[in-house]
Amino acid sequence: MIQKSSEPLSLALPKGRLMEDVKNFFEQKGLDFSFDNRKLVSYDKSGNLKIFLVKNSDLPTYVNHGIAGLGICGSDVLYESGYKFFNLMTFEFGGTSMCIAGMKGQKQNNDERKLSVATKFTKFTSDYFHKKGIPVEIIKLNGSVELAPVLGLTPYIVDLVETGSTLKANNLEVLEKLEDIKVHLIANPAYYKLHYKSIKKIVSILKG
Amino acid sequence: MTEKLNRFLQVPMGTETIYIEEAYKHRQANEELGKLFTSWGYLPVETPVFDFFDIYQDFIPALKDIYRLIDREGDLLMLRSDITLFLAKQMGLSLKETDLPVRICYSGTILRHQNREDISKNEFFQTGVELIGKEDSNADLEILMLLNSTFNSLEIKPIVHIGSRKLLNASVSDFNNSDKKQIMSMISYRNFENLKNKLKEKNDKERIDFLTNLFQFIGTPEELKTLIDSSEKVIIKEELTAINDLILIMESLSKLNVDSDFIIDLSEVGNQSYYTGIVFQGYIEGVDSAVVSGGRYDNLLGQFGFEAPSVGFSLLLRKVENQLGKKFSLPDHENIDDKNFIDAYRKAEKIRKNGRIAIL
Repeated sequence: MIQKSSEPLSLALPKGRLMEDVKNFFEQKGLDFSFDNRKLVSYDKSGNLKIFLVKNSDLPTYVNHGIAGLGICGSDVLYESGYKFFNLMTFEFGGTSMCIAGMKGQKQNNDERKLSVATKFTKFTSDYFHKKGIPVEIIKLNGSVELAPVLGLTPYIVDLVETGSTLKANNLEVLEKLEDIKVHLIANPAYYKLHYKSIKKIVSILKG
Repeated sequence: MTEKLNRFLQVPMGTETIYIEEAYKHRQANEELGKLFTSWGYLPVETPVFDFFDIYQDFIPALKDIYRLIDREGDLLMLRSDITLFLAKQMGLSLKETDLPVRICYSGTILRHQNREDISKNEFFQTGVELIGKEDSNADLEILMLLNSTFNSLEIKPIVHIGSRKLLNASVSDFNNSDKKQIMSMISYRNFENLKNKLKEKNDKERIDFLTNLFQFIGTPEELKTLIDSSEKVIIKEELTAINDLILIMESLSKLNVDSDFIIDLSEVGNQSYYTGIVFQGYIEGVDSAVVSGGRYDNLLGQFGFEAPSVGFSLLLRKVENQLGKKFSLPDHENIDDKNFIDAYRKAEKIRKNGRIAIL
């Protein structure tokens, strides 16, 4: 049985694709939690964590403002937020990759003056290609990015690719993997400094 | 009208208006600190609000946060984003060897760009002190004790994490400046996996493990001593000196029965390139980033033409204002509704004599 500290630490978790993985992982470590119907705040079984459910892309905002001291989030979302956090651990689950994709059979054309890309990840995309010295024209989309090449909005997309089945179904293929995306436990730096003892304990439980 | 109203509602980023009660609190706190600093012999200095950009360029951590403008001669100017910097130039210009040591304090607005969506950082007002011309640890202690008094007089309870740039400089002396910058950022963001990889370039395994452990350390002087005792074989002399200096300071603080929380945190290496000795930051429950930062910077003034060691701290006052003690709140007032002005005036005078507020 994990001992309860005086004040629970606040942890933001992302709704969506990571939730099941996180839940299972925490259960394995004895930090079970569940959410009553439609509720967005809960406590873990040991009472050491106060857990909020937030939209994936809002998570960095909550942690940056210290509303949640800790958070679990993919490096894709963290990078887009532009905020800096302490990275306390990297999880095995939830890993995926950021890729550039285009229509099947169409090779990436190096003669083109400008790369034209549709993506949700505008900051990552512009930084990535600018670092390589490649000019890039970006169109921001909020979802169903695969449609862009199909409908002719842009020849390429930059998006997360897990299994590649969505790409395949739309007659697209990965041209290049740009970066591995991992899931991290992050902390607001000031929050860490104030609660480092209890945070260390939780991290060692999670790592153990 | 709506169009006009819309225009009024928008404010340039990095500015704020403070209203009655808040403004009262702010002014009271600022006055209280002014009195405290004066009683320790720290005298006020004012710096210009803008200055040439190029001379500060190398000392600014995030260039995109700076407001820049062009004057009539075509020179690039910047608005004051950090009083310590502007002060360094002022001091460099006006100080003479015989003036030292000098104790100064300052308080004023600073301007940094903030994202429209990120307006709660409250980095609008900086107040602080500097002790120039004293190199010894007594000067460090004086500044830390004054910091303690600052917290007491504001009735707030932050935790101060103290580290040592001297230690860091000793540990990574064989890296060049740009590598050193990277290492500092890895340490202060506790990115120890990347740190390990970076250290591999110049260190063997034993040293890598030791340094990674060392810069993760947060704890008491006793715990640090235990860590050092177990690493006798890998520690170098300069590191030991820096650590002992730090331990000595902590021990003096506890002898002085300091009532704020001070703790050793070797991942505090200073967010500015100019630090050379102790570095510290203060954190307070419910505030999203450090409220006070400071340390020793013996080379900064030299960059502006006058070599003198210096130690100080600066507090982002607006960040702590909603946590201030009761004595800073607007006192109760009495409305005098006597129709006869002469009677009302006399009544009000009486009430005011007793130190209370009377409104006619």
